[in-house]
Amino acid sequence: MILFDRVTKVYPNGQTALSGLNLHIEPKEFVTIVGSSGAGKSTLIKLLTREETHSSGKIIVGGLDYDTITAKDVPLVRRRIGVVFQDFKLLPNRRVGENVAFALEVSGARQREIKRAVPKMLTLVGLSAKQNMYPHELSGGERQRVAIARALIRQPKILIADEPTGNLDPGNAWQIIELLLKINRFGTTVLLTTHNKEIVNALKRRVITINRGRIIRDDEQGRYTLENPTTLKGATKGIATGVEAQN
Amino acid sequence: MLQFWRILHGGIRNFLRNAWLSTAATAVMTVTLIIVIVSFISSLALTATIKGVTDKIDVSIFLNNNTTPDQVAAFEAALKSSGNVASLMYVSPDQAVANYKNQNKDKPSLIQALDTAGNVLPSSIEVKAIDPKHLDAIEAVVSQQANQSLLDPTAPPSYTGGRKETIDRIVHFANFFKTAGLAASIVFVVISTLIIFNTIRMAIFTRRDEIEIMKLVGATKWFIRGPFIFEAALYGIIAAIVAVTFSYLVLLSSAPKVASYIDFGSTISFFQSYPFVILGGELLLGIIIGAVSSILAMSRYLKL
Repeated sequence: MILFDRVTKVYPNGQTALSGLNLHIEPKEFVTIVGSSGAGKSTLIKLLTREETHSSGKIIVGGLDYDTITAKDVPLVRRRIGVVFQDFKLLPNRRVGENVAFALEVSGARQREIKRAVPKMLTLVGLSAKQNMYPHELSGGERQRVAIARALIRQPKILIADEPTGNLDPGNAWQIIELLLKINRFGTTVLLTTHNKEIVNALKRRVITINRGRIIRDDEQGRYTLENPTTLKGATKGIATGVEAQN
Repeated sequence: MLQFWRILHGGIRNFLRNAWLSTAATAVMTVTLIIVIVSFISSLALTATIKGVTDKIDVSIFLNNNTTPDQVAAFEAALKSSGNVASLMYVSPDQAVANYKNQNKDKPSLIQALDTAGNVLPSSIEVKAIDPKHLDAIEAVVSQQANQSLLDPTAPPSYTGGRKETIDRIVHFANFFKTAGLAASIVFVVISTLIIFNTIRMAIFTRRDEIEIMKLVGATKWFIRGPFIFEAALYGIIAAIVAVTFSYLVLLSSAPKVASYIDFGSTISFFQSYPFVILGGELLLGIIIGAVSSILAMSRYLKL
């Protein structure tokens, strides 16, 4: 599903974000990527969504060789991948239903199709009763569910969740993780990045640890192995304090 | 098609959400389009006025009353050969007196004065020139040595008098006004381009989160750019409608007041005959100014 073959990314300022990274993710996998700030997680995601282009190596996603795509193809690439972020990135002046519908509108879906798909997706994420509310009327967890619904509405084969629990309290964070697991059970490949040790350890799924642009660990049923999670961004209070090096 | 409507809808929503900036941009565009249309109307009206004035002017060549019909015929042939004669007419002394009495029938004192003087007026050749602004060729024929003896020594040909200078002054003024109108139009087109450029730039900044989300969910470049272009085109569309309506109403109400100086009759009839040509031209200009400014702003500030 996702193949990185000796991928290197050097930014114009000379900073090397990824150096010769090899990564292979099978379809329907649930993979967690951990790494301290600046390790290269964000660059990895930006390469997948084509916000950045790699300097060398090969990236193949869903059979599509990223060397062959042109600027015109980029929107099509993005439609094949759902992404959710720590800060939700919802349109504040549109209702919940409209936010979800927006992803379909930009790809030219018919109104009838949108009207059918949006309520279904909101039911899946447990927000069917809040379709007509605005994002500011929702809790953080609910906003993230809206973002997930928007990411999934086009039924992508891959869902990237970039620190989706970063701004949420533990209860809401778990609900989001459970939702991601549910989506994964339906057959979507999920790529999760997080700093939350408890979540990583409880998931018992594949964990890839990145440091300085390289993969330093890749474990089936892995655990959180970073020694000093200095970049908790205040969201995982109470969970990840006093992390010890494991393994 | 569906995408097109979504883009239009996005443009209208942006326009309304940005109401103050949109109003300012539309107002500047309206002023620009009014200046363009005023300059166009003035040009038309001045051309009509000049044509009216110059058409009324004949060159009058006053003849010595001893001139024989053969000499007159030869002189007429020579004038025609100058190439700038639309028509010419010989006016005999009797005819001249009759014309004078007819023109001044409301002024008995003038007619009485003529009677007292013995009803003497010179015969003349009245020439209507093809191009009244360039009478040099006719003047050359008249000043030929052979023709000098035919002229009335007391009444020089009329083109050498004050009337020619007046025509020259009107033509000069009209040309100046046309040039000034063109220059003002260009200046204001540039100003409104800059202001719309800035408005769209602000809109891009205030909506950068939304643009990022659009990119994130896979919107194409034109789906993101389209609403900005349509928003700016909308300034032009509204401005064109306001400018044409405003100009027409002002023209209709002011034409009678200035009718004795400037001939707006043909302009009004042009307006009435081709309202959609004028509106279409203004719409086209407004849309082009809007779209170009918006595309310029995006090429600078909207990196996709």
